[in-house]
Amino acid sequence: MNILVCIKQILDPDLPARDFKIDAANKEADPKGANKVTNIFCENALETALQLREKAGGGKVTAITYGPEGAEDSLRKALAMTVDEAVLVINDKHSKPDAIAVGKVLAAAARKLGDFDLVMVGRESGDWGLGQTGGVLAEELGLPSLAFVDEVDPDGDGLKLQRQTDNGSEVATVKPPALVLITNNENNVPRIPKTRDVMMSYRKPLQKLTLEELGVADEAVGDGHTAFEVTNLYVPEKSVSCEFVQGDSLDEKVTELARRIHGIVASVN
Amino acid sequence: MNMSEATREVYWNVPYHNLIYVFLAPTLVIMLWGFYRRFRLWKAGKPALRTDRLGERVDLFIRNALGQARTMRNTYAAVFHTGLYLGFIVLVIATTVVAIHADTPLKIMQGPFYLFFQSLIVDFFGLFVMFAVLMAWYRRGRLKPAKLVYTDEANILLGLIFVIAFTGFLIEGWRIVVTEDPWGLWSPVGYVFGIASAKVMSTEAMTMAHRGSWWLHMAVSFGFIAYAPFTKMAHVVFSPLNIFTANLDGYGASLKDIDFEKAERFGINSLPDFTWKDLLDLDACTECGRCTAVCPANTVGKELSPRDIILDLQKLMHDSSDELLEIAAKRQKGELEPPKDGEPPPIPIIRDDHAVNKEALFQCTTCAACMEACPVFIEQLPKIVDARRFLVMEEADFPEGMMNVVTSMEQRQHPFPGTQFTRTDWADGLELDILADMADPKEAEVLFWVGCGGALVERNRSTVRATAKLLKKAGVKFAILGREESCTGDPARRIGNEFLFEMLAKGNVETLNGYGVKQIVTSCPHCFNTFANEYPQFGGHYEVSHHSQYLRDLVEGGRLQPVHEDHRHVTYHDPCYLGRHNGEYEAPRKVVAASSRTDIVEMPKSGRDSFCCGGGGGMMYVDEPPDKRVNQERAQQAIDTGADVVAVACPFCATMLEDGVGARKGDRNVSVIDVAEMLLASVGDEEAPVAGESSAG
Ligand code: SF4
Ligand code: SF4
Repeated sequence: MNILVCIKQILDPDLPARDFKIDAANKEADPKGANKVTNIFCENALETALQLREKAGGGKVTAITYGPEGAEDSLRKALAMTVDEAVLVINDKHSKPDAIAVGKVLAAAARKLGDFDLVMVGRESGDWGLGQTGGVLAEELGLPSLAFVDEVDPDGDGLKLQRQTDNGSEVATVKPPALVLITNNENNVPRIPKTRDVMMSYRKPLQKLTLEELGVADEAVGDGHTAFEVTNLYVPEKSVSCEFVQGDSLDEKVTELARRIHGIVASVN
Repeated sequence: MNMSEATREVYWNVPYHNLIYVFLAPTLVIMLWGFYRRFRLWKAGKPALRTDRLGERVDLFIRNALGQARTMRNTYAAVFHTGLYLGFIVLVIATTVVAIHADTPLKIMQGPFYLFFQSLIVDFFGLFVMFAVLMAWYRRGRLKPAKLVYTDEANILLGLIFVIAFTGFLIEGWRIVVTEDPWGLWSPVGYVFGIASAKVMSTEAMTMAHRGSWWLHMAVSFGFIAYAPFTKMAHVVFSPLNIFTANLDGYGASLKDIDFEKAERFGINSLPDFTWKDLLDLDACTECGRCTAVCPANTVGKELSPRDIILDLQKLMHDSSDELLEIAAKRQKGELEPPKDGEPPPIPIIRDDHAVNKEALFQCTTCAACMEACPVFIEQLPKIVDARRFLVMEEADFPEGMMNVVTSMEQRQHPFPGTQFTRTDWADGLELDILADMADPKEAEVLFWVGCGGALVERNRSTVRATAKLLKKAGVKFAILGREESCTGDPARRIGNEFLFEMLAKGNVETLNGYGVKQIVTSCPHCFNTFANEYPQFGGHYEVSHHSQYLRDLVEGGRLQPVHEDHRHVTYHDPCYLGRHNGEYEAPRKVVAASSRTDIVEMPKSGRDSFCCGGGGGMMYVDEPPDKRVNQERAQQAIDTGADVVAVACPFCATMLEDGVGARKGDRNVSVIDVAEMLLASVGDEEAPVAGESSAG
């Protein structure tokens, strides 16, 4: 079983609100002073992949990310969790690749790295939360895909996939190769690495690839060629106003309050 | 009668008495073999340096082995143990005197020495020994404190001691009466025995009984000597040895380092991985149970029992002695195979059916009460942390709450996942200097190390703010690190993630040394302990004070003048890492005294015997069962003093006790206030109302 897990490094969602700043000029969150962490659904995907490797009694798990040099930290953490290989596709010039760009890059890398039986992607990222990369990547690689999967088991020469739905779960089977978008459940909480594995993670090789090496043209994925554009980015202003409903008697106050509520409801609809 | 001629006939009525030397030889051989057997096992441990600093060791030995200082802390035990201990010494000397007098040309057993020591004092101690045995029996049979281990062995030993003392008096009494010893009154107890028997026994009967009892006395004594090393009586030798080789650096400096490049296993889950001193610890235990009696986790009904940890490991050591020796021999020859992945280590110490189990190990608050209580200086806490290290670093198998904290410390350099505060929010409007922003960071004489618990936890922001304000008022040239501050690593180290601790420690030392920091004031006793005891080995040498110490000095130097005296009744809770771990009990009390009009109402467990708030050792982050909460137990003890204010000096204590007091105070008005907050209120705070007039709580 050859598994590819695509992961993304994001700004720490646990960042105190006061530390969250917007870089208005670039229309993105200001990364200064903020920690970077691996997106949680990506970690769930890593955990699911590692468990599948154990259940299948062997196999190879490769973690890949498309990001700046600093994204190496997330790959080292994946290595500490005991993935077998880690690949960093370096993005040193495109500030805001969208899902289509990322999908294209990852697809090119997946084709170059070999035949994968299963590609795993987190359900969505904790920063932009678009949830599109998995779909685009499946399309690019021509793979069948299933979203909201929280458990993957070997099933003969295929795979059994459990998928969360609004009111329970569905089970599907698939013959590899396939792509799944992983969501969290109580069984795929990312493992805490053992210290020896943490130490080893710094000694393990980590493959770095550039877009040129993948044969991906800048125009295809670069700035200005994205499918959508962020026109404005801001922290919503919260305003609270408080008003006491006036009236001479309780009855009057209640009537007035009811009238006001009516008015607000009407204006919203 | 001329006193200088006083003596007695030795070996009266005992033909063939020289046979005792024939019996003594094998007795001593068995005894020595018994001791050697244990000694051999300790030697199987890894090296440890515990024979340096001889002066300090001798001093410790005199006070605690000879002087029994810690044993004396419990009055009941102090009385009977003194009887047994001094009685044992006196009787051994007396027996030796007899042997020298009888079988060498030195006739020392004469004159006033014979009368005062060999007769009167020896008689007194013989009686004391019998009384002590009765007291010990009464405790075991009637008082039955839970801390004791109830074994037949203990009763047999007491029985043997009693028989030895009792037969001693019988033979003395009969000899006095039958030989009409003119000095007989100098041995009053024996004399009374003799006179009493003479009323019911004929001279012949007494002579016969004397001969039989004499041999019985010898046989039981020899039996006792030979049996002792195989029982807990061995503590007579092992405990003094253990005290002599104790850790001299205080509890705050008692965790071992790990050489991550060389270590085959991180932490300990294999008996042979302990040092020889750890193994000696196991044999030195007297089974007194004081450690477990003071353990906060045990007190609230949890499974953890430091006594049983030591005793179960001791049993394991004895049961697996052959394997232990084999491994040691291999190790010495360099033939020991490195551990294979996934294979269980030899003689594992973490076992579900043992006191050393996963559950209990992660109940320890690392408060060191056990170590402070142990009369023979056994080090329970470092062993607990050693085992935790194995579970955390080798198995990644530890409580979820602690996992979240470790992850947060790795990713965000602080142990408070989800905090909505930044490292500097608390200082809004104070315009404090931040080292990184200063043209010349050396202008700051003091670095105020705020600590995660101060900056990032709602409750404690007012404490660190109070400290900063006081420093400003006193005109101290200080600065903070702001965003550059990261956790000292204390929680990681106590939880057992030494690797993470080392990374954080190295990072912090680099930052601090980069700014040339010399003097540090910390708000948190845990940070204080880390700087004082643990950073030096990473090249971080600083003059560090806890805020209570620094503020005390400012008050005593007249740089802060408390004016409003709080009239509320105050009790003070000693934080483990300021008190027991570092010996500072006075400074925070002085700060309270400076701020308060009333004397501190002490809790029964205070100072050296303080009871943990429940927050140390990573326990702050673990959900405790609602009926077994250390913080509530301690809060109750504080409330029971009748105080209105529980003064604290640690952010962990503040959080834990505020929570505990909230749960237990009922409709009483009890507040938990840091000593810095008290002092600020008393010095005068423009931002806040005067203490005692507000009703916090
Ligand atoms: S350090 Fe404290 S909590 Fe831990 S075993 Fe000793 S007394 Fe108990
Ligand atoms: S470890 Fe120390 S305090 Fe605990 S039972 Fe043994 S001798 Fe007593």
